[in-house]
Amino acid sequence: MSILELQRVSKVYGEGDTEVDALTDIDLSVNRGSLVAIMGPSGSGKSTLLTIAGSLEEPTSGDVIIDGARVRGMSRNDKARLRRRTVGYVFQDFNLLAGLTAVENVSLPLELDGIPMKKARSKGMAALEGLGLADRAESYPDQLSGGERQRVAIARAVVGERSLLLADEPSGALDSVNGESVMRMILTACHGGVAAVVVTHDAKLASWADRVVFLRDGQAVDETLPPPSPEELLNPDVPKPSLS
Amino acid sequence: MSIRHSLLALLSEGPKYGFQLRQEFETSTGDVWPLNVGQVYTTLQRLERDGLAQSDDVEEDERQKNYRITEKGGEELSRWLRTPPDLSEPPRDELVIKVLVASRLPNVDVFDVIQVHRRYLVQLMQQWTRMKEDESHFDLAFALAVDAELFRLDSVVRWLDSADGRLRRVSLESVESTMDSTFALPSNRRRTGARR
Amino acid sequence: MTDVLDRIDRRPPDGGMPARRAVTRWAWRLLRREWRQQLLILLLITIAIAVTTVGVGVSTNTPLSTYVGFGTAHDLGTFQNNSATTTQKIDSWRALYGRLDVIDNEAVTVPGSVNTFDLRSQNPNGPYGKPLLTLVAGHFPKSASQVAVTSGVASLFNLHVGSVWHATGVARTVVGVVENPLNLLDEFALVLPGQVANPTNVTVLFDATRLAKGTSNVITPADVSKGNLLNPQTISIVLVTMTMLLIALVSIAGFTVLAQRRLRSIGMLGALGATDKDIRLVVRANGVFVGLIGALVGFVIGFVAWLAYRPTLESSAHHVVGALQLPWIVIVVAMALAVAATYFASTRPARAMTRISLVAALAGRPAAPKQLRRSAVPGIIFGVAAFFLLGVAGARGGNGGSGSLAIVLGFVTLTVAVVLLAPFLLTVLNRFSRSAPLAIRMAMRDLARYRARSGAALGAISVGVLIAMVVIIASAARFGNVLDYAGPNMASTQMIIYTSNGPYGPGGPGNAGAGNGAPAKSIATMALDAHSIAHDLGSHSVVTLENTSATLQHAAPGRSFSGPVFVATPQLLKAFGIKQSSIGPTTDVLTMRPGFAAITQMQLVYGNYFSGSKGGPITGPTAWPCPKIDCLANPSIQQMPSLPAGTSTPNTIVTEYAVHHLGLQPITAGWLIQTPVPLSAAQLSGARATAAADGMSIETKSTIPTSATIIDWATLAGILLALGILAMSIGLIRSETAGDLRILSATGASSRTRRSLTAATAGALALIGAVVGTLAAYLAMIGFSRTSALDGLHSLTSVPVANLLMILVAMPIVATVVAWIAAWRDPKGISGQVV
Repeated sequence: MSILELQRVSKVYGEGDTEVDALTDIDLSVNRGSLVAIMGPSGSGKSTLLTIAGSLEEPTSGDVIIDGARVRGMSRNDKARLRRRTVGYVFQDFNLLAGLTAVENVSLPLELDGIPMKKARSKGMAALEGLGLADRAESYPDQLSGGERQRVAIARAVVGERSLLLADEPSGALDSVNGESVMRMILTACHGGVAAVVVTHDAKLASWADRVVFLRDGQAVDETLPPPSPEELLNPDVPKPSLS
Repeated sequence: MSIRHSLLALLSEGPKYGFQLRQEFETSTGDVWPLNVGQVYTTLQRLERDGLAQSDDVEEDERQKNYRITEKGGEELSRWLRTPPDLSEPPRDELVIKVLVASRLPNVDVFDVIQVHRRYLVQLMQQWTRMKEDESHFDLAFALAVDAELFRLDSVVRWLDSADGRLRRVSLESVESTMDSTFALPSNRRRTGARR
Repeated sequence: MTDVLDRIDRRPPDGGMPARRAVTRWAWRLLRREWRQQLLILLLITIAIAVTTVGVGVSTNTPLSTYVGFGTAHDLGTFQNNSATTTQKIDSWRALYGRLDVIDNEAVTVPGSVNTFDLRSQNPNGPYGKPLLTLVAGHFPKSASQVAVTSGVASLFNLHVGSVWHATGVARTVVGVVENPLNLLDEFALVLPGQVANPTNVTVLFDATRLAKGTSNVITPADVSKGNLLNPQTISIVLVTMTMLLIALVSIAGFTVLAQRRLRSIGMLGALGATDKDIRLVVRANGVFVGLIGALVGFVIGFVAWLAYRPTLESSAHHVVGALQLPWIVIVVAMALAVAATYFASTRPARAMTRISLVAALAGRPAAPKQLRRSAVPGIIFGVAAFFLLGVAGARGGNGGSGSLAIVLGFVTLTVAVVLLAPFLLTVLNRFSRSAPLAIRMAMRDLARYRARSGAALGAISVGVLIAMVVIIASAARFGNVLDYAGPNMASTQMIIYTSNGPYGPGGPGNAGAGNGAPAKSIATMALDAHSIAHDLGSHSVVTLENTSATLQHAAPGRSFSGPVFVATPQLLKAFGIKQSSIGPTTDVLTMRPGFAAITQMQLVYGNYFSGSKGGPITGPTAWPCPKIDCLANPSIQQMPSLPAGTSTPNTIVTEYAVHHLGLQPITAGWLIQTPVPLSAAQLSGARATAAADGMSIETKSTIPTSATIIDWATLAGILLALGILAMSIGLIRSETAGDLRILSATGASSRTRRSLTAATAGALALIGAVVGTLAAYLAMIGFSRTSALDGLHSLTSVPVANLLMILVAMPIVATVVAWIAAWRDPKGISGQVV
């Protein structure tokens, strides 16, 4: 089942002489449980793709369908509701609201959706526990390490039965070990039924995805082949990677 | 990859039989580098010849021979661990040559060539990552070896990215200069891809 | 599954209360984290509310309350006798309005004195008059032969509870000590109703529901408060309104900085699915919290200060002041206004936040500066309207209600005009700076570009200066008058001992009428004691002050002459180094007051001028032309700068020439003692005791603030306020142009350029603010100058030049220098904020 559908999405910034095509005719479909990476150099339109997919921006043309709902024509409030119920974001370096503890940050989208504080908090606590962060629940963002902050951000992005996780260079500011654990957590969320899109220029991160879409100058130029099934991996005839 | 020194390292833990050495070598490198039997015994014979290891000489069958490290062998191992590998000579990399050739051929889209290789490399990395993914039987040595491979592949991808960018700039400049001389059009009115 | 969907659907579409609560909680946490950035706003509100609390408390309690006679009644009727007509009228009122209180008063003269007390009959439990009477000791009179007296009456006649008193021809036993808590100077003897035989004043208290208009002998509190334009309420309302406008302006600038700093967080909140309403709530909740905290802290501080000051106030105001006897409505309104001001100030940045796209907010990119109208027309229209309104207020000087409304409206309009003109001025300045050095040019361009915010800051600075300048001009105009001369009464090394013949009569200054009870000694004895006091104080300079019946008058509308007029005895002239030869042969009056000699329609009046018993009635105390009797028109006045300047010292004296040719009778009024060192409290109380034993009183340097003190404090406060606002807004502008600055540094500009940039910004804002504020203040006061409290346009010229220079020159310089020094640090940009 497709959670995110981009249909011939284009985005043009500016007008007249300063017109710039950020995205051109992007088609993308992300199913429940799958992790898609968008890879491309700086300025290829990766981030724009993500903000459009998350209803933060309107495409100039084309359609975005999130969890069956068409974003075009939604009111600002409807989009806000869509974001807090369906979409979770993880950004590169700025995720948590200062002044709120980890667990408050995690339960904030639930509270914004009208769930009473106590209930939201216990759900947030459960999400943190699930990601092994229970002991950091009462810490403020500035008391957490960079890796912990990103992990709390992921907990917040998946809390409350949300189905779409969008991450923009989620481990950009982290070392590779911490970056790996962030990707591992996103993958875990996918195994739990979330559809995830990770935007990155880093092949190491992209290699965690089931599918990697290559973006260049706002166009999807290529993508990886579907991964070999477990049977294929066990089949000795299929070449396994090796270094020899 | 020096099998010679890896075997010496294994022997430095204590005397070992030939078959045991092969087994341990494969586990210690996380099964990333499969080793054929012949390689192991040839290497062991050479070690014995150079006085770096010695066998008890009881058995004729190499698999049953018990090997131990000599003092000279210990010194050699220690020297080797500290000697940096020779990186000053660039390896004659096939991929680099392919891209260089493609960039000179008029009828070949070099960017297409680059993308084919990039995709292949990323797919390769996906496979390695997937091996690492399953944490249930986590193996430190294996993870280290896989990381090494991922970093190596990643560096190649990055080289492709930078080659891509460099070639693109050169082609853009040459296009602009032709346009300037012939049409004098307002350049890059619609330059694409402004935002990250 | 359906169950889950049901649950989801029952959630309010906008998040409802939980969302609002969560967002408010976050706003509160942010405030707790970042209160330092809002310190200026908090301080302003705190100080404003604290000052309002104490100020309105003191100002409404200090003068004998104008409603003092009313008790709890709404109407007060008076009659001059208890004739049948009076009784009839009272009975008709009783029939009409039910309950009423009748209080009979008969003025009784204290034997051997001009003072009087009242013989009074009043029901202690009267429905309206109860607050006017409390029992201090004993009990209220229960029979015709009993009386209760005030402590003043008791000491005057040496009475105590139990003694028998023969007053007004009737022997009564004193059974209690009473007082009028609303007026401790009210001296009376309380008897049973019906015991006042010939009342000279009958007061009837009642609540008239349908009283015919124009009943001449009935007044209401509203009638009493009329005709007092500069009454405490009007002044507090004007000040509170102005301050709240100022707070709103500062808050707009402050909250805009804050919203800018929180741009990414707010973008994040939007990305998490907060509605626009929630996002606006974050900024607004912050505003309301700041307002509430400031108001509450300010009130607590003010109330504590009020409690501490209350005893002092009670003793100086001569009536009981309850701890909770504060004009609560004014205080509550002021607090509510503070919250409202911060709320409305936060509304603009709150709206701006929802206009920025979430993507831009998340990236920390502020919106492009909004183009404001460049036209000066609206500002000028408001300025003219303010001038007109203040003119109306000035003209209605004596008309109460509508006048005070006009004055409040006038100042509000003026503030709006200043705020509207500020952005325009920045544009003009930018145009003028085109050929200036790079740093200044850049500074001016940024000010003009970001004038949505710098305009608010400039407006706030101007309003701060405006308030200070209004206080300065008003007090300079009020006190800078040579007729109604004000200033320090004397130096701290001076003391005057008054005999009962002194210009303030028996009892000395500030204690009119009552007398201190000690029997007056002969002048010779008093002179001896005065010299011995002087000797004890180490003084060798004792000047005898002589008094005559002569005083000066200005026979024209406006303010009249104030201050004592002593005689220029040879001893006095010698004491101040004045040679007889320097006085003109026909000079009548010598004065040190500058410009006094040039005033026309002055007259020297003496003898029986005021009594009117000789030569027929006088048309009025300031009649012009000068009546023939005991009045000298246009006396010859000579300025003599070496006379002392204090208001109580002989700053204006009549010459011996005038004494002789007008036939005045000098009598010893007191002695001016000049000591080598300032007097200590112990010396003062010793001298006071010695003087009191002879029936004399002393006067020393008063602690009441003089015009100079007020002007200096207002100058200082105005400068500090302007600099505070400046510091905050410079921080804002620098953080917004931090990127530019960094690029500037990167392209090789030295820290010198950066400093020049900041210094030029600060200096320009301070200078324009000072000029605009000063001009607006003068505009306001010119419009208002027709009021009777001031003396027309010429009174506006008396502002000390030094204070003007402080605001117009020194403040911009200080701002520039401080900005130059403070700008050594790299600007902390909003982009540097990562959590």
